[in-house]
Amino acid sequence: MSERGAPRSLDVVQRWFQAVVTHPEGVEGGVESEEAQRLIRLNRSELEAVIGRSRNLTAAERMGIYANAYYARLLECLASFFPILQKALGEEVFEGFAFEYLQHYPSKSYTLDRLGESFARFLAETRPEPEQEEEPGAVGWPDFLIDLTLFEWNLNQVFDGPGVEGKPLLTAELLQSFPAERFAEARLVPVPCLRLLAFRFPINAYYTAARHAGEGEEAPIPDPTPEYVALTRRDFVVRRFPLTPAQHALLEKILAGAPVGEAIAAAAEISGLDDEALGAELQAWFRLWVAEGFFQSITSP
Amino acid sequence: MRLPRLGYDNLGLGVGLRSTHFDYILKNQPEVDWFEVISENFIDSQGRPRYVLQQIAERYPVVMHGVSLSIGSTDPLDFEYLGKLKRLARETNAQWISDHLCWTGILGRNTHDLLPVPFTEATLRHVVERVRTLQDFLERPFVLENPSSYITFQDSTMDEWEFITRMAEEADCGLLLDVNNVYVSSFNHDMDPDQFIRSLPHERIVQFHLAGHANYTKYIIDTHDNHVVDPVWELYRTAHQLTGGVSTLLEWDANIPPFPVVHAEVLKAKRFMGEHLEPAAADPEPVLAASGEEGGHHEAVFHPLHQILAEVE
Repeated sequence: MSERGAPRSLDVVQRWFQAVVTHPEGVEGGVESEEAQRLIRLNRSELEAVIGRSRNLTAAERMGIYANAYYARLLECLASFFPILQKALGEEVFEGFAFEYLQHYPSKSYTLDRLGESFARFLAETRPEPEQEEEPGAVGWPDFLIDLTLFEWNLNQVFDGPGVEGKPLLTAELLQSFPAERFAEARLVPVPCLRLLAFRFPINAYYTAARHAGEGEEAPIPDPTPEYVALTRRDFVVRRFPLTPAQHALLEKILAGAPVGEAIAAAAEISGLDDEALGAELQAWFRLWVAEGFFQSITSP
Repeated sequence: MRLPRLGYDNLGLGVGLRSTHFDYILKNQPEVDWFEVISENFIDSQGRPRYVLQQIAERYPVVMHGVSLSIGSTDPLDFEYLGKLKRLARETNAQWISDHLCWTGILGRNTHDLLPVPFTEATLRHVVERVRTLQDFLERPFVLENPSSYITFQDSTMDEWEFITRMAEEADCGLLLDVNNVYVSSFNHDMDPDQFIRSLPHERIVQFHLAGHANYTKYIIDTHDNHVVDPVWELYRTAHQLTGGVSTLLEWDANIPPFPVVHAEVLKAKRFMGEHLEPAAADPEPVLAASGEEGGHHEAVFHPLHQILAEVE
């Protein structure tokens, strides 16, 4: 602990500076915080013992430039990662959540690209308890926000994560030429950018409506209903595909590395279709997914 | 005798690569001398940003400019991050790698700001040792930039230019002289920007930065959101004369205009390279009302790390 007037090490000065400029109550709250006081004990009126004043500004005003910029910058970044969540909440409420989040999950990465990675988790951790009249496990407005946050975060991840641009993909011709008798045992290798998402609200539909809403218009918040979505990337643009529960079950198995037969069985179990109808559906699904570049290849056991 | 620019090339007049200009650059292949890229935007990218950079690096000289090195921090150097820098530099054949004389966080945190260090003997020893370690690791020219700052430490025992000079000499590294930052910091700390520039070791300066800023009357914020103002151009003229001319780069990070406007801005530098050329451009310094004052507005914030946003169908 440094006493007033004693030489201060660089380490102490930096820990103190960070504690002050990142304090949620600003410079004055920061200087008087327990952490800052432990490092450099001074009253707010004594700040100029550490920080010089300029001709125009006091030490506190100068420190305030860093303190204001810290939250303003990171809040702007979060808003740009979650533009539809911000629309859904409104700027002020969004900022309130994001401000709390930054205090619980400050950036520990060299890149801002990871700034929002725990935002959905934070919203889940701080989710208000359900109202008394609600049934246990009831889905409500907080769950909509959590799902929407997860969705937008996944869009960011797919956009800049691994992809297959410029690489060969499974084509309809290759799939058709695959021996039918070995199809059930074969494995489809998904592209690395393929992600499956399951939501408690129609998040993808809401995302589309909110993006298309004009200035001053609001997309209505939907009622809860399960929604399944596949995300992938083609030509460096993220593509969204709504899925039925059966399609989701099938693709989930394929992503887990299961043979095609096992994946189809999972789809059949929940599709409610007879074999003939399901067969026709499957053909259409695979045709679409191959055309959309969901798979890299098909392999025999 | 040391060579000008430490012997590195003068790349000419370049522009900071920003994602809003990706399509324009790929389509039009503008006649730009070189590009500077924000390292952190690309080192992890496996999508379009990395692809675009590969295309650009095939046609133009590229320099990597980082914002998260945190050379002044007492946290350990992050060798995973440095390894990624080194790989990207190899891939893009980066002419050199730069970052700022600052720290960005401590105790594992990153404020994503370029925070000032106290200019003391202890800080100098700390930074010099880290720059030496870093240069050995990167095996590529490394240069450090003077950041804009808004406070001074009472513990400082030397001027910023003395610190920079001794650091560069003792660590044997190059300097990126941000002329706008000299102006901003000098205004904020009641210093003489001309003295700042004249006091530096000019043969160690391998690159200049130019940018716009926001003047709130009592202080200036380094916002990179506007044209370069006349007084900064005049400092550039001085710096050009003192160095004999070095690679010059324009940064524009907010309210970014179309690419030709940004390019035209850096081309103005030609006016200040000769003694008898035309006088300063018509970019007098606009003065903004401070936030909270009547007619004031939300204070602009410097974004050292430009974000690249997802493209979603």
